Amino acid sequence: MNHNVIVWVHGDNLNPHGPALGAYPDAPAIWVWDEALLAQWRISLKRVLFIYECLLELPVVIRRGQMVNELARFAAAQGAATIATADSPSPRFRAICERLRQAGFEVEVHRERPFLDYNGRLDLQRFSRYWRVAQKYAFD
Amino acid sequence: MAKISPAPAGQPDEHQDMRRNFATRDELIAYLREQFPAATAVDAHVSAKVGGRRAAEAALSAIRPGDAYARTRNYLNGAVTRLSPYLRHGVLSLAEVRDAALQQTRDRRRAEKFVNELGWRDYYQRVYAALGSAIWEDREPYKTGYRPDEYAAALPEDVRAGETGLPCMDAFSQELAETGYLHNHARMWLAAYVVHWRRVQWQAGARWFLEHLLDGDPASNNLSWQWVASTFSHKPYFFNRENLEKFSNGRYCHDCPLYGRCPFEGDYETLARDLFPQQSA
Repeated sequence: MNHNVIVWVHGDNLNPHGPALGAYPDAPAIWVWDEALLAQWRISLKRVLFIYECLLELPVVIRRGQMVNELARFAAAQGAATIATADSPSPRFRAICERLRQAGFEVEVHRERPFLDYNGRLDLQRFSRYWRVAQKYAFD
Repeated sequence: MAKISPAPAGQPDEHQDMRRNFATRDELIAYLREQFPAATAVDAHVSAKVGGRRAAEAALSAIRPGDAYARTRNYLNGAVTRLSPYLRHGVLSLAEVRDAALQQTRDRRRAEKFVNELGWRDYYQRVYAALGSAIWEDREPYKTGYRPDEYAAALPEDVRAGETGLPCMDAFSQELAETGYLHNHARMWLAAYVVHWRRVQWQAGARWFLEHLLDGDPASNNLSWQWVASTFSHKPYFFNRENLEKFSNGRYCHDCPLYGRCPFEGDYETLARDLFPQQSA
């Protein structure tokens, strides 16, 4: 059991076998309903319900508030210097990671097994250009 | 349906933690209505689609990604998988869904269309990672002959309320609000109606969809709206009544009081002239 680490679970990875929960299955884990995000996105009740049902199958405490403050408070309460989480393309996710680092935490970002086993260049201008290369790896 | 929740590690704090134990789904829903009044005010419907890994695995084991999927997926009653809410929230990964599809078909060619559709999600995620918050901006100019400021900034209230008087569009709007799901073809028709027939900025429609869609994420959602609008494609996407009638198996057109005289009536050339007069000028 490694209590120097907490796992931050966010909405882009609600899999109990996801990469961060998988790396630290015994670490304290947290989900935060981000008040600012709720206000900005105006998601309706059915979306809240769907996410909440996902959370009930995860070993997380569920809180709400200001994201960075809540994560920092939870980590400090657990005596954790490291916050592990799953990767996300969201710019908000990157901003939160940066603010946690500025607050003195080490942030470990764990990647899901990728769809393509390929690290070379992909032209993203149009799907057809992407797929011309991607289809060589998408079936492996 | 009782929920048995694994005990979280660490010290529980009853004053800060939200509830995890509910005897029934109705009890959970009542709790959420109380805790999330703003979300309830946006729309109070709940979906029959259940969240969580168990439901996701059950849905994954039921997919039929072979010939029927490729042949019928564009029809509203086609053999689509409805895995998108689980993919959107990473309850299932693209790689594991692809593996399951290939295992089931045992022939790469039979799952080709299905894997191609998974590729769209991977593609949109990559574009989102590259764009960041610019995903809310026009990727390219509109190819409709109109300037961005000629599109309304707000979604018309009759569209949101499902009260346009067009039975097909109103049904899609209501289904979106009530279930949090729309078949991809219905999304395209509704988006084209909002952007091209009502001349509304795609961003207003994209925000509306994100309020409701269980699979709503800025990557797939916004970039699909941009594809319809023509700010992320070479030409605007639009449709005619014949196309909607075919792929909805006539469910809206057959008894429609506007049959033969609705705004979607006509061949594509005529509709293009009407919708984009400055483009063809």
